[in-house]
Amino acid sequence: MRVDLPHEVHTLDNGLRVIVHEDPSVPLVAVNVWYHVGSKNERPGRTGFAHLFEHLMFEGSAHAPEGMFDTLLESVGGVNNGSTSPDRTNYYEMLPASALELALWLEADRMGWLLPAMTREKLDAQRDVVKNERRQSYENRPYGLAFETILAALFPPDHPYHWPVIGYMADLDAATLDDVHEFFRTYYAPNNASLVVAGSVDGARVLSLVERYFGEIPRGPQAPEVRATPVVSNGGRRLVLEDDVRLPRLYLAWHSPAYFAEGDAALDAAATILAEGKASRLHRALVYERGVAQDVQAFQDSRKLGSIFFVVVTARPEVPLAELERETLQQLEAIAAGDVAAGEVERARNRIETAFVDELQHLLGRADRLNLYAYYTGDPGYAISDLERYRRLEAGDIATAVRRWLVGAPPVALSVVPRGRLDLAAGTA
Amino acid sequence: MSTVQRDRPPAPGQIRPLVFPAIERRRLDNDLAVLAARHGDLPLVTAMLVVDAGAAGDPARKAGLARLTTDALETGTRTRSADQIAWELEHLGIELQATATWDAAILSITAPRERLEAALELFADIVRHPAFPEAEVDRLRDEQLATILQNRKEPRALANDMAAHFIFAEGVPYGRPLIGTTASVQALTRDDVEAFYRTHYLPNASSLLFVGHIDADTARDLADRHFGDWPAGQPTTPEFEVVPGVETRTVFIVDRPGSVQSEIRIGDIGVARHHEDYFPLLVMNTILGGAFTSRLNMSLRERHGFTYGARSGFAFRKRPGPFIVQAAVATDVTARAVEEALKEMTALREEGASEQEVAAARDYLRGILPLQLQTTEQLASRLADIVIFDLPDDYFQQYRQRIADVSPDDVHRVAREHLRLDRLAIVVVGDAERIAPGLESLDVGTVVIHQDY
Repeated sequence: MRVDLPHEVHTLDNGLRVIVHEDPSVPLVAVNVWYHVGSKNERPGRTGFAHLFEHLMFEGSAHAPEGMFDTLLESVGGVNNGSTSPDRTNYYEMLPASALELALWLEADRMGWLLPAMTREKLDAQRDVVKNERRQSYENRPYGLAFETILAALFPPDHPYHWPVIGYMADLDAATLDDVHEFFRTYYAPNNASLVVAGSVDGARVLSLVERYFGEIPRGPQAPEVRATPVVSNGGRRLVLEDDVRLPRLYLAWHSPAYFAEGDAALDAAATILAEGKASRLHRALVYERGVAQDVQAFQDSRKLGSIFFVVVTARPEVPLAELERETLQQLEAIAAGDVAAGEVERARNRIETAFVDELQHLLGRADRLNLYAYYTGDPGYAISDLERYRRLEAGDIATAVRRWLVGAPPVALSVVPRGRLDLAAGTA
Repeated sequence: MSTVQRDRPPAPGQIRPLVFPAIERRRLDNDLAVLAARHGDLPLVTAMLVVDAGAAGDPARKAGLARLTTDALETGTRTRSADQIAWELEHLGIELQATATWDAAILSITAPRERLEAALELFADIVRHPAFPEAEVDRLRDEQLATILQNRKEPRALANDMAAHFIFAEGVPYGRPLIGTTASVQALTRDDVEAFYRTHYLPNASSLLFVGHIDADTARDLADRHFGDWPAGQPTTPEFEVVPGVETRTVFIVDRPGSVQSEIRIGDIGVARHHEDYFPLLVMNTILGGAFTSRLNMSLRERHGFTYGARSGFAFRKRPGPFIVQAAVATDVTARAVEEALKEMTALREEGASEQEVAAARDYLRGILPLQLQTTEQLASRLADIVIFDLPDDYFQQYRQRIADVSPDDVHRVAREHLRLDRLAIVVVGDAERIAPGLESLDVGTVVIHQDY
């Protein structure tokens, strides 16, 4: 399978890193900007701000007044969006290749000239939208508060991963126009960003357009480094939430190695062996053989300052969660003890590789990958090395990682149960 | 260095013509249609089997059977256990996608070219020789029941189910959840699954599509090796009338005490996929609620901050599916949000849209088409549309022109004909005690509160 992403890298005088990937096979272009700021850069009392700020980036800049951004892009047949994670914020457009210059003009304008167009009214309107997003995606959704409950238990209050990306309601209310100005000046400078242009384009022309539109945006101050307070073991905290649900659900969460650090890839594979797909261990034991679970999931949530390994098991109605926890921990112990068949490792590698190639079928997926590698590893061309991390894996590597990170440390365990059914929760001792 | 022109957006330039791959057709002796389209540079092939076995064919009182049948296919054949199937698929690094829509069962695999033959052998065994082991079917039925239970607690799923329930009259298949109800699924047996399979899974009611790194004759030969001796039978097609569930505009509150938001669905019967107004309706809906900059989203999200997003859409099926306007809004603005949504629908119906707005919607629809045609799976799904709705093979070549032909007059005409404001089911899932008074005083229709659902 072809996994290399041919590209050229160029850095403007103001520090903006530009990565161009030419692919003439589709008549499209993807423009993808990563700002190296996420919810980890927030402080207690202003949680949710990076994401609220992301919303404001769509509300107009000095030369492209409110409404123009989406109107122009949709009217040329493009799609656009953005997303905020704990580590970074991205913005992207995908449009007919002939409209590349328009996307660059819009991205440059909001990178360089957002503040002259910023108003209190825009902040208030997007604050309302985001509060509704929080209601829709978290508060009014079954199990919606589980992840933020776990984060708060897993990380101490001043740790950058203690709070959820969406933020807390009271903090959203507290955000001011001054915060917007300060955040923009601190983090939205060209030297804190990277730009990928991918698709049916000519590299030299892209560079000259990027130079024209972004070149005069001034370099900003060096963004402050985020320091994570060292995480001490939280002694296997056990939590219970009563919620408006019918199916009890168990969440287990462990601290795990940072993105691309030793053990990160091995835990991706462990997650696959444990709970991804119908041939995975927990699916076979809990869903298939015993019929006590509705579904199972495990994943390594890879992050810059340290990751989280999750196992999420949804029970059938009335099934006590303790039973599901016992089986999960037994399977992990077996893996840690080296009881991993070669076929299981191969299956994990195959699945990971297939998912990888699938993502690269999409131009936007390729563009985002280039920025991801640039940000996390410093090398946008890391794709082949990344895949190599998985191809090299052997059963012993997986056992070692599971032993060190999962079996050696008690997880935070959260039971979400139907109201009035605390009896179904996994033991809280 | 020349000064940079920033005051005006750069012109977008001409969009390039879309090259949609040619579709080649072959037919096996058992009447299985084989379609092939070359696509992409990667050595990948998607094989997709489209069977006339959709949920619209669920017998009365057996809602959820089509879905259970597609799920059960993977649980064993005459010669392979469920476990073996899972292992073999994963060993090949492929995933079997099996879904039942209202109009078809769609099964597909995407495999590297060099593993296609092996993958297709397994795929054919799963589709042609399912054993439907009783214990497996029971387990899947219990999973489906648990999903139904949980959906009642999920405000969005509940709102979608209740909207369909009120839009369509009793007995219309589209009024039931596709996965069935607790009562219907509880009664399903292994023999029901087998009977549904025998009735609907026939080569002469199916099409096999190949998209990717393959030519039509190779596709035909492959199909013939694995599906050539699949015996034909007597196909049946579901027959039913689509009848509205309301005669006048009615507000149905589905009470969910303590909800911090209300899930709003404003719905009516839409049109069938083959309706002659299909293209004008696409453009009209783009203006109303089919894009980010559409009127509903600009009003409810951007101007009023009531919601994270508002949209509208037609579900185009073989028969008229629902047309639904939807948004999740903060509880205290529920009535105002309904009022604004109705206002936008009324304005489009009475005044139509400007030339500029229509042009923007046309350009949007024309421009995003290639975005939906990037992967072999995406392209195969478009071929499935051609098969299911009996569209011409050059449909996607013609698509952009058909969109370009839509005029502001067309948009106004279809808004007048299809946005029937006097016959709407307005369904609101939320905290009745807090939202009922506001919805009563809006005076847009009788308000009915449902507490048991």
